[in-house]
Formats: sequence, structure tokens, C-alpha cells
Amino acid sequence: MNDIVTGFKWVGTRPIRPDGVPKVTGRAMYAADMAMPGQLVGKILRSPHAHARIRSINTAKAAALPGVKAVVVAKDFPDQKFEYIGPERVAVNFWHVTRNIMAREKVLYEGHAVAAVAATDAIIADQALALIEVDYEVLPHVIDVDDAMKPDAPLLFEDMITRGVEPTPTRPSNISKRLEFQIGDLDAGWSQADVIVEKEFKTAAVHQGYIEPHACVVKVDADGQTDVWSSSQGHFVVRALTAKLLNKPVGDVRCSPAEIGGGFGGKTVVYLEPVAALLSQKSGRPVKITMGRDEVFKATGPTSGGSMWVKMGVTKDGKITAADGIFKFQAGAFPGSPVMNACLCAFAPYAIENAHTVGYDVVCNRPKSAAYRAPGSPISAFAVESVVDMLAKKIGMDPAELRRKNAAGIGTPMIYGPKLAHGGYRETLEAIINHPDYKKPLGPNQGRGVASGYWFNGGGESSATVQINADGTILVATGSPDIGGSRASMAIMAAETFGVDYSQVRAIVADTASVGYTHVTGGSRVTFASGMAVVNACKKGIEDLRARAAMIWDVDVEGVIWEDGQAKPAGSNVGDFKPMSLREIAGKAALTGGPLTYATSVNAGGQAPGFSSQFCDVEVDPETGKVTILRFVAAQDVGRAIHPSYVEGQIQGGVVQGIGWALNEEYIYDAKGRLDNAGFLDYRCPVASDLPMIEAVLVEVPNPAHPFGAKGVGEVNIVPPMAAIANAIDSAIDRRMTELPMSPPKVRAALDNGAAG
Amino acid sequence: MAARVTLTAGFSRRYTGGVREFEVEARNLRGVIKAMDQLYPGLGHHLEEETTVAIDGAIHETAYFQPIRPGCEVFFIPKLEGG
Repeated sequence: MNDIVTGFKWVGTRPIRPDGVPKVTGRAMYAADMAMPGQLVGKILRSPHAHARIRSINTAKAAALPGVKAVVVAKDFPDQKFEYIGPERVAVNFWHVTRNIMAREKVLYEGHAVAAVAATDAIIADQALALIEVDYEVLPHVIDVDDAMKPDAPLLFEDMITRGVEPTPTRPSNISKRLEFQIGDLDAGWSQADVIVEKEFKTAAVHQGYIEPHACVVKVDADGQTDVWSSSQGHFVVRALTAKLLNKPVGDVRCSPAEIGGGFGGKTVVYLEPVAALLSQKSGRPVKITMGRDEVFKATGPTSGGSMWVKMGVTKDGKITAADGIFKFQAGAFPGSPVMNACLCAFAPYAIENAHTVGYDVVCNRPKSAAYRAPGSPISAFAVESVVDMLAKKIGMDPAELRRKNAAGIGTPMIYGPKLAHGGYRETLEAIINHPDYKKPLGPNQGRGVASGYWFNGGGESSATVQINADGTILVATGSPDIGGSRASMAIMAAETFGVDYSQVRAIVADTASVGYTHVTGGSRVTFASGMAVVNACKKGIEDLRARAAMIWDVDVEGVIWEDGQAKPAGSNVGDFKPMSLREIAGKAALTGGPLTYATSVNAGGQAPGFSSQFCDVEVDPETGKVTILRFVAAQDVGRAIHPSYVEGQIQGGVVQGIGWALNEEYIYDAKGRLDNAGFLDYRCPVASDLPMIEAVLVEVPNPAHPFGAKGVGEVNIVPPMAAIANAIDSAIDRRMTELPMSPPKVRAALDNGAAG
Repeated sequence: MAARVTLTAGFSRRYTGGVREFEVEARNLRGVIKAMDQLYPGLGHHLEEETTVAIDGAIHETAYFQPIRPGCEVFFIPKLEGG
């Protein structure tokens, strides 16, 4: 545990972002902007069917087309052993992963990759794809999670036996796994309740909706050395996955991070890099593959849709006595939905003595789900926070007050076992209860809704290298791709630690050969974990700079202190020395031991979870069913905002994505299981004109495990919006919406059928 | 005083025949894992690979260097992943 520093010069300020100029002038290099001499265009043939057995693939005509330099199919990749490696939620089965990269025995969703070509230009590559002959045996498909769980559902894997069930089932099903968590005694909890509410809910699968499609350029040399340039949330993970899927030594693969145009969890996995590498290996030329938007929608991970049941009990005076939930999640074509997180987070904001959750991970003929901002938590929160609102309305208590009365705090036992070690939730509720707009009167067809959310936040492995240049400027290199402003926050933390001006520090994201291993930019971990690595490297630097100054002054190192970015004598007895700047020490680096370079790696722990409480005002048009967001206030415990503008941006972004999830976003499949809306015109993300200004309220309850008190801020903000909006709609028109998206047709239908909540 | 170590129901079902709670003398998490592995050979590997650890509620990556004070609560929980 570190002592938290207070009285900051740079932490909490809003300097200009270092990546701003290249981005607004269009010079920033995204993966699709990369080009190499002799580069080929790679393209992927994708399945037109939701579910089919591949009888044969004939690539002879495509390979013979002039200009085609390489063709690959699944059998060109080494097959992988069938085994789940690693922890439950993130258990990776490379037998599945390689089949998602390129289908083998079957295609499992429309858009599933079946072959790839590399050609001298895009037209020839398209012609080559058209010449590939695939003989499919079309099979029945299943899209909906409840349908996929039925005993007579078409099976994606004829030998899949549900894990986590005893006795082990004898019949295969689409249910990959069952999970269960419990605390206390449910029956005792129900017996104490005066009011019990239970309800079923459904959420749609939604895409992360990053603006930048997946892209990469890969060059494989004759000796197998492989260079990858791609847009991802973690180039070290790209390296590991690419090496594993191609049976290469990790040391033969070097990955360089491009600028990233959004990821939100969806770019923590690979789709293209191993394919481009194999094409490059076969052709002897660099290969670039860029997905189209339709490919992004059809073949990259959305988050799961869910089907849920939640039951909660409360006393008349507002004590929640018991809670139970069943969460069934679409995993997509391969196991691995975030249902475990949903089970763990569902009731986490509350001190409930008796709680129980069950989760099901279910495969269906959709693209394999991928992480999306607080994966799993927003889905279960839609159900739980809706039921909490129903409880509040039934007992006549303000919904924020009911939450405050039951708020989890330090020492609250969590359903996943330990007691909560950090506070912050209550403070977010107080921030909205005390907000001047919380009691503002509303007009006809208008309503106000409240919801809260919980997310674990991450720590883990990060590395940083700090170099002090000859002119006293500082280079900070980390291995964390910058998605949410990490270069600015790393530079701020370095400037604060060294006591120098922010303008002296330049932060970069280094490639896998230039900095130590760093886990993905995900799980709201970077400011916490990579920030800790940066601060440790800076502290290491300060110790060395003191030693160098001591050598220059020819005094003992104890006689030198570091203050305001300078070495100073610790007292008058040390000698009459003027403070020595970084530039002066750097100028004598060769004389005092060589370049000033400091590398550190951490496995950061003690991260604090994130809590968010939000309220919104909506107006429902009773004729069209359209819901307009009038006001949105999101209070979040951020620990300490290193760069408040970026923190506010994270909160606003999470809320906007939540609004899209709530009101419009969904995958629409036709009768044959083909996606009908694989583009931003028909898959309706919110745009600026749909939205009011999202007001972000920064609540700062510092985390003592971080040198500046930082907590992860990137994810929990997306957890409450769907329920907050549903609760506001119910307040406006007395209709409980239980299915996402709450699009105009669904709201109209609710008004027509008169089903009040 | 020994540290109190708890496994999730799922872990205990898979690896310890349903036993969930243990008392272990250890100075750091390496000692805890070692002691658990002695009780159930092979369990140490599963704990290292599959868990995150909560020590007195504070969540850490499962890593040998985490200090364990007498009487503290150690929960091994499934490893988590964010977006």
C-alpha cells in the first residue's frame, strides 16, 4: 500500500492531450493507414449460412487467377488441442479459437470465415473469393438464447456436455456451462419481506460499435520473423494469440500498436492477424486486411443478449431481504459469454444477506461474443435495477433513497465470497440525491428514473520505461494502447512524480519489443496498473538522479534530496550547491554512469471497484412511442481523476452507449439466420442530435493502493443507463418495459396492450 | 493466528471434494498456495491459473508476493476479465 500524495500540481488538471493534434489533423496512423512496399490485399470469404456443414472447399480456380499470391483455408492452420485453459470467465479453448478464425467442420454463423486470399489488388482479391467453391450442407439454426436451450434445439456441437452440472448430463446441448453463487438463506430472506417482486427480462445482443473497423498489416520474413501492425486493445495479447494459433515462438512475433479508433472490449481478441500472417508466409509479401463495416457486424463479437428472471423482496421500511436471479446469456458460436460477471455483479451494489444467482452460457448461431465495457454487468443490472425500482414504487420510497438505505459499503459480504474492501457507492447516491435537478418538476409524458451499477475494475501486469533525454525532457513508454487518454494521464503522473512541467514529458505506446509485457487496455486497468508502473519507474529514476547528483557534487547520496524537479542539498551541512536540474544531470549522464533509463514492471493489485449512480429524465411520445432523453446525470466514484476531462469523457461515452443499448441497438436476423442490419444506417447508435449534454459528476473516494488514489473509470458508467431509462419510462407512462431495445414499436405496443408494471 | 482461506463452491466441488474453508499458516500467498497444494496435490496449479484473490476484501492478482497477515481472510475467486 502506498501513501496517497495530496497537494498536486498536475494531477487533476486538464492539459492538452498529446494525441490531439495528429488526430484532428488526420495524421494519426490507424491500422488501415499502414502500408508497406510490395504489400498485398487480403480478403476473407465468409459463410452465407447461419449453420452448415462444410463438405468441401475447392480453391484451385482462385489460386490460379493471375495476381493471386496466396490462398488459405482452415487446414493451413495447425489444429489446436480441445482444452479449456485458464480461469472460468476467460477460459480459452484454442480448439474453438482457431475455428472462429477460420471454420473447419462447420460454419456456425453468417459471416464465419471459411477461406482467405492475398492478391495484388482488391478487385483481383474479390474475383478470387468468387472463384472459391464451398459445398455446404445447410443445417437448422438457432438464434435466440431461450430457443437454443430447448431440448430439441439444433446443436452447434453434437458433443457439448454442460459443465458445472451434477450429475454430468448424458445428452449434449447448447448449454456450455452452468454457474451458481449463493450467500445466506433465501427462504429466511423471503419470510422477512413485506413486498416481493419477480419479473422476466430480455436484452438484445449489441455491438461495441467502435468507429474503426479491424485492420492489420503483417509481414513474415523467410526466417519466420513476423511483424504485425494492427489496431487492438493489447498488442502483447495479439502477439500471444498469433504465435499460439500459428505454433510460432512468441519471440518470433513483434506487434506494433496503431492508433485505435475505439475498442470497448471488442479488440481484446484477434480475427485477422493470424490469417494475414499465414497469407504473408505463403506469398512472401506483406499482407494487409481491412474489414468492412458489414464484416465487423457479422463476424466480430457483440456482447451477449440475455434472458433473465429476477426476484427480490423488501420490507415496508425499505430493507432488501432477499434476491434471486437466473441469467441466460448468448455466447455466440463458441462458449464464453460474460454470464459469470453478470452473476457476480448483479446484486453487488447492495448489502443483501440472502442472495443467489444462476448463470447459463449458451451457444447459438451468432458471432462469438466478445467483451464489451463491464462485460455482463449491464445486462444483469437492467433486470435487477428495474426490479429495485419496482420495489421502491411499491413501498412508496424514493428510488435513490431505497438504494442508499441498502448500499453496500466497506465490510459488506459479497455474493462471490469476500467482504467489500472499498466504499464509494453511497457517495455516488448522495451526489444524485443532492443534485439540484433531482427534484425538478416534470411535464406530461415525462418521467425520471434512477439506477446504479457495480464493476470490479482491473489491475494486473503492466510495464513502463522512463528515459531522460539529454535536454532534460522525459520519455515515458508503456505497453498500453491509448484508448481513453492514457498517454495524457501517464504524462501527468510522471510530471507529478518528478516535479517537472507537463510539457517536459512525452508519453508513447511502445511495441512488444520495446517495453515489457503489458496486459490489455481493458477492465478499466490502465490508469491504475500502468500508472503504477510509470510512477514506480519515475521513483526509480529519482533515486538514480539523486545518486548522480551526489556523484557530481562528490557527496553522499543521503545528502541529496529531490524537490520541484531538481536535486538539492539535504541541508546546509552538505555544501553550498545550487539546485541541479534534470537537464544538468542529463548533461553529465555519460560521466555518471551512462543513459538515464528506468524500466519497471508490476502485477498491480488492490484495485477498487467502480460504482455509478445515475438519473435521467425522459419524455415519451404517446403517438409514436419515441423516447427522448431530456436530462442525464451520471455520478461515479473515480477515486482520483488524473485528467478530469478524460474521466468525464469516459462517463459520457459509457452513458451514450447505454442509451443506444436501451433505446435502439439490436441485431435483426431474417428467417434464415442472416443479419439484416449490418451497418450503421440500420443498426442505430445514438448520434449527437439524439442526446442532451450528459452531466458527469466526479465523486472522488481515493483508492489507497494507488499512489494518487486512482480507480478504474472506463466501464461502470455503462451499467446503469438501460434500467435508468426503463425506470424513467415507467414513471412517465406507467408501463414497465422488460425487453431491450425499448424502441418506438415496443413502447407503442406497451401503451396499446396496457401492461402496467 | 492462521489465515482463513475460502474457496468458491465451484472450486471446492471440483478440487477439494466440497471442502470450502481452511486455516493456513503462511507469511505470503506463496505459502498459502503451497499449503493448499500439500492438502490437495495439484490444487496449487489451479489456484495460480484460475483465480483472483481477495485478501481482507481487497482484490489482487494471484501472485506469490502478496503478504498474508495472521487472521486475515483469503478468498480465491474466479479470475475476472473486463472490456
